[in-house]
Amino acid sequence: MKERSPSILILGGGVAGMAAARSLKHQDLSVHLVEEQEQLGGKAALWACMATNTCKNCGACLSREMAQEVADQENVSLHLKTKIDTLKKTDQGVEALLTSGKTILAAKVILATGFSPFNPAALPSLHSENSKNIITTAQLNALLKEGKLEPLLEKTPTPRIAFIQCVGSRNRELGKDYCSQVCCKISLRHAQKLVHVIPDARVTLFYMDLQIIGKEIRQTFEQLSEKINLVQGVPAEILEDPDTQALTLVTEDRTTQSRIAKLFDLVVLSVGMEPALGLNETAALLEAIPNDWGFFNTRDAAIADNLYIVGCAKGPKDILASIQEGKIAGAKVIEDLGLGKKPDITVAVLGDGPQAARVARAVADQGYPVYAFGADPDTTLPRGSRSLTLAKILAVDGTAGKFAIYYDDQGKKETLSCGAIIAAPEPCTLPNAGKGDFQAAMDLNSFAKIPPKEVPEKSLILLDYFGPQFKTAARQALTMAMAARKAGKKITLLMHKMLVHGALGQRLYDQARRSGIRFLRFNTPEDIEITPQKKGFHIRLKEATLPDFDLALECDCLVLPESIRSCEGFEAIAKLLHSSLDREGFLQPANVRHRLTQSPRKGLFFAGTSHDEVDDHDLRKEIQDIIASLHTQELPPKKIGVTIDEKRCAKCLTCYRICPHAAIILNEKMRPQIMEEACFSCHLCVSNCPAYAIESDKFSNDQIVNRVVNQIENREKKDQVVIFACERSAALAADKMVLPERTQLISLPCACRISCDMILKSLINGASKIIVSGCHEGNCRSMEGSTTARLEVDAIARMPGIPPGKIAWEPVAANEPHKFECLISRA
Amino acid sequence: MVATINTHSNLSNLLNHLSQKDNISECLTCGACNSRCTWFAGQGGPIPRQMVRMAALGLDEKLVKSGMLWDCLICNRCTQGCPMGIAMDVVVRRGRSLAIAAGKIPFDIEKGIKSRLETGDVNGLTREEFVETVEWVSEEFADEMEDPNATIPHDIPGSKFLYLPNPRELRINLLHLTAMGKLFYAMEETWTMSSFHTDVTNWGYFVGKDDIAQRIARMVVAPAEKLGIETLVLSECGHGYHVLKFLLPELIGRKPAFNVMSIPELTLEYAKKGLLKFDPTIHPHKIAYHDPCNIARKSGSYDAPRELLALCCDGVVELTPNRADGVCCGGGGGILQDSTSTKKRMITGRPKADQMKATGCDHLATACLSCHRQLDELSTHFQLGIKVDTVAYLASQSLVL
Repeated sequence: MKERSPSILILGGGVAGMAAARSLKHQDLSVHLVEEQEQLGGKAALWACMATNTCKNCGACLSREMAQEVADQENVSLHLKTKIDTLKKTDQGVEALLTSGKTILAAKVILATGFSPFNPAALPSLHSENSKNIITTAQLNALLKEGKLEPLLEKTPTPRIAFIQCVGSRNRELGKDYCSQVCCKISLRHAQKLVHVIPDARVTLFYMDLQIIGKEIRQTFEQLSEKINLVQGVPAEILEDPDTQALTLVTEDRTTQSRIAKLFDLVVLSVGMEPALGLNETAALLEAIPNDWGFFNTRDAAIADNLYIVGCAKGPKDILASIQEGKIAGAKVIEDLGLGKKPDITVAVLGDGPQAARVARAVADQGYPVYAFGADPDTTLPRGSRSLTLAKILAVDGTAGKFAIYYDDQGKKETLSCGAIIAAPEPCTLPNAGKGDFQAAMDLNSFAKIPPKEVPEKSLILLDYFGPQFKTAARQALTMAMAARKAGKKITLLMHKMLVHGALGQRLYDQARRSGIRFLRFNTPEDIEITPQKKGFHIRLKEATLPDFDLALECDCLVLPESIRSCEGFEAIAKLLHSSLDREGFLQPANVRHRLTQSPRKGLFFAGTSHDEVDDHDLRKEIQDIIASLHTQELPPKKIGVTIDEKRCAKCLTCYRICPHAAIILNEKMRPQIMEEACFSCHLCVSNCPAYAIESDKFSNDQIVNRVVNQIENREKKDQVVIFACERSAALAADKMVLPERTQLISLPCACRISCDMILKSLINGASKIIVSGCHEGNCRSMEGSTTARLEVDAIARMPGIPPGKIAWEPVAANEPHKFECLISRA
Repeated sequence: MVATINTHSNLSNLLNHLSQKDNISECLTCGACNSRCTWFAGQGGPIPRQMVRMAALGLDEKLVKSGMLWDCLICNRCTQGCPMGIAMDVVVRRGRSLAIAAGKIPFDIEKGIKSRLETGDVNGLTREEFVETVEWVSEEFADEMEDPNATIPHDIPGSKFLYLPNPRELRINLLHLTAMGKLFYAMEETWTMSSFHTDVTNWGYFVGKDDIAQRIARMVVAPAEKLGIETLVLSECGHGYHVLKFLLPELIGRKPAFNVMSIPELTLEYAKKGLLKFDPTIHPHKIAYHDPCNIARKSGSYDAPRELLALCCDGVVELTPNRADGVCCGGGGGILQDSTSTKKRMITGRPKADQMKATGCDHLATACLSCHRQLDELSTHFQLGIKVDTVAYLASQSLVL
């Protein structure tokens, strides 16, 4: 590789660092990626796949694919098993001496050193070092990943498993008065995985305030709460019975009004995040000063020039958010170096509320002409952009860079050609006040508009009563309560749980309690009895921490946050955009291959509450993320290896209809045409063309069958197991594996490339067993690709003459090498 | 039953001083405390979080009526892992101090405080009785040591040490006093006792009344300063140690004019200087050590008693869990001083008894005479066959003169 100028130094090869490297791909830059470990991937690579039958959207599998991509990236030099020896600031940037002896003169440094899981040895009463049955979430991941969990629990047919949340988080005594943001979600996924793997497992999850925040999490929570035992209150001590090794946790028993001991076979400590070891030293060399926690996620942390801090090095966050941050930093580096060429495209923003307006303005400020459909008439946009307040979109055609939006603007039919579409409509905000018993109650938004001094003397804000509150409402409630408290008002906050999201969430909650706001907790809405009075309300409450008696409360004003729900119109928007809704009815499916902001249809983006649980801070990130995508949209043409043979094409439009990426358009001759820049080469069209008119350069039926036959002949063995594996999941899992003699692996661009022809011909030519292996449902980059493959395999397996077990579908994620190993050893 | 929140209850007004670790509004309701109560599981007892929550919501009456305040052993085990640093002993003592809780104070404790304030001794031992007892013990001691100069002195100004005994040492455990005398004798230093304030206890601490605690503390400080001693040496007493070594400056509003040490700490110091020698073969077996909560968890003294004990036997065996996580003997917080509590103490002490049994040792030591009594009773009640001694007593037995 030729040495280019300038150089960019990325410290840390986890998902954030890799995402940063990836976004520098098409630039004339030398990217130096330094990673301590032997391979790229970081903590996410150690994470087990959380999928049950379907993907649970954690994103851990992405690290494997990213590692491959970055390793193949032409302008990246990898420095594995390498650390920074010294770093020195110079006039040109930073001079780094690596432990390998190499010196790098970097114009910019991206710090992506990640986190360390909290070591529970700092809490001796958990006795985590004394028992093999007390493990951390990180260790549980390792056990799951290596298939060692079942052997550990084999002694007990119905293992009792406990999760303890907030170990090393939200603990001021340990100097960690912050929420680690991800652990509740991780434990919920873990619990879900455990009851899937061990159906007879009895799982109890002890939590402080379950952080139900994020896309599809409400539904997950609802389903899971029927399968596992959720208990508020976290035991701080684990005692092991020296004879039976059973683990004892003492918890409050609400029914008997006492503390009782519960026995468990396995206790999982849901450990928080702390800054990676050595982060402070590295940062100090660059004159960056972290906050008290050692992170850079608050204003009191100072970040130096030419330094970008991303991922968990900055502060606790999940995999997808780390990827997003890395990507944004990469784009920022390009911008700060004055590189990159902004594509000359128009952007359409869809949405009728403040979030869309904010998106439209931000994109327009970047110099893109914006057409804001549905925008508030007051939305001011720079010259060259237009607010189309009353325009109604009739149809959206085309694809990335070449969208055509047909719309009706007050009776006038128009067409807009644009390069990108951002959908950011408002979700439905349902008021809860003003109905039935709540006739005299007040909406939180209305309450927020009252100047604190004029707030009624005694106010009670009721959270979670109509379902888990969105974090924006919880934050607003807390902020308003504090303002009113400051003005001397008596404020009570009645909640099921406090959401302490964001870097300062915990501190804000601490301040609120200290300021004299009373916090009361309820277990279920049935524990609250609300009676309207002539003035105000009378409330009788079974307080969660005081089950022995009821509490009577009076308030002048009962405040209810509005509920956020998906809109009826979302379905129409999704249809219009050739997209679909998530399981809770919001825009954008939860597929991690495209989240946070993208979609399988290139150039189509989502922002705001209509697709994810976002607050102001998240929306800002989303906008930066989308702008980063826009800046890098004009990519050099690539070979997709799929062409339509016009002579054979019957113009049935199957391909046009099924393409998950909307990459097939109808050209002037009304013939289907593949748009290379939008195509992901999934080959779904190839597999499904009834006229066999879509040809593949490398993955035609004949080519694949020939590959199978050749290998079978080469090995002169008849007893061959043929595995057709998706190159983004199963094939990656198998990547470093030495396959047994009698196994051969055929990598496919997507499991959907499988065909009946391929399978039958392989069998005829001597394959003894066929396994088709791809992504878990919901994880396929081409959305329904793996599901299509599974259905196809099932159908072939049921064909007359096919013995049972001859053909099988097995989902294997990229981070499941052990599962793949088991698969081939079983075959 | 319905209760109403009272933001200005007497208890709320007494609490909420962050510096004293009793700011109950800090409570996250995380429930960590509930898992760590020495009462352990299934036998009733206090529910720590409920106590804090009732205090936080100003439900003073509910809290008093719940009976939890006097069931609590004030061992602070529950809040050892409190993420917000709340200290349960302060919360409970404040609760006990409420006027509405007055009727709940155990009779023996009330009587003991009265005697202490009137006579200087919780058992009502008068000055004359004190002098008589000490002088008689002194004579016995001289005989035992076969040295007329071996004495148990009292009221001698200018002595280096002032020994503050446990009331038990002046009544039912005189042997212990003699044993302590032997340690001082071997140190070859001047020491004395004082007839003006006979004991190390401060039950004002149990009832949470600062004024009483202060008065009792002053009763210790004034004669000690008058005698002009260098170091106040405390008998082995848990709460006495916590109050006199840790809370004293706060109680009297200044630093006292003397140092404070416990007898095991002092003995260890002299052993380290090479001035005292011990024969470990006197106890040629392993001895388990119980951490008194007031000395260990609440005052941070873990090592001195262990180090001294190690010099006097074949090795120290740990109870599990121990140190900061140590389990209360089951007699803390004033429960031992309440003569009606014997049955209850055999419930609160059950976890301790299990721990003792698990060591496999037949000899156990501790550094608090209250723990000593409770542990001894546990050994009998649960038929553990474990002999219980104090660390200083064992040291005295092992002394090489």
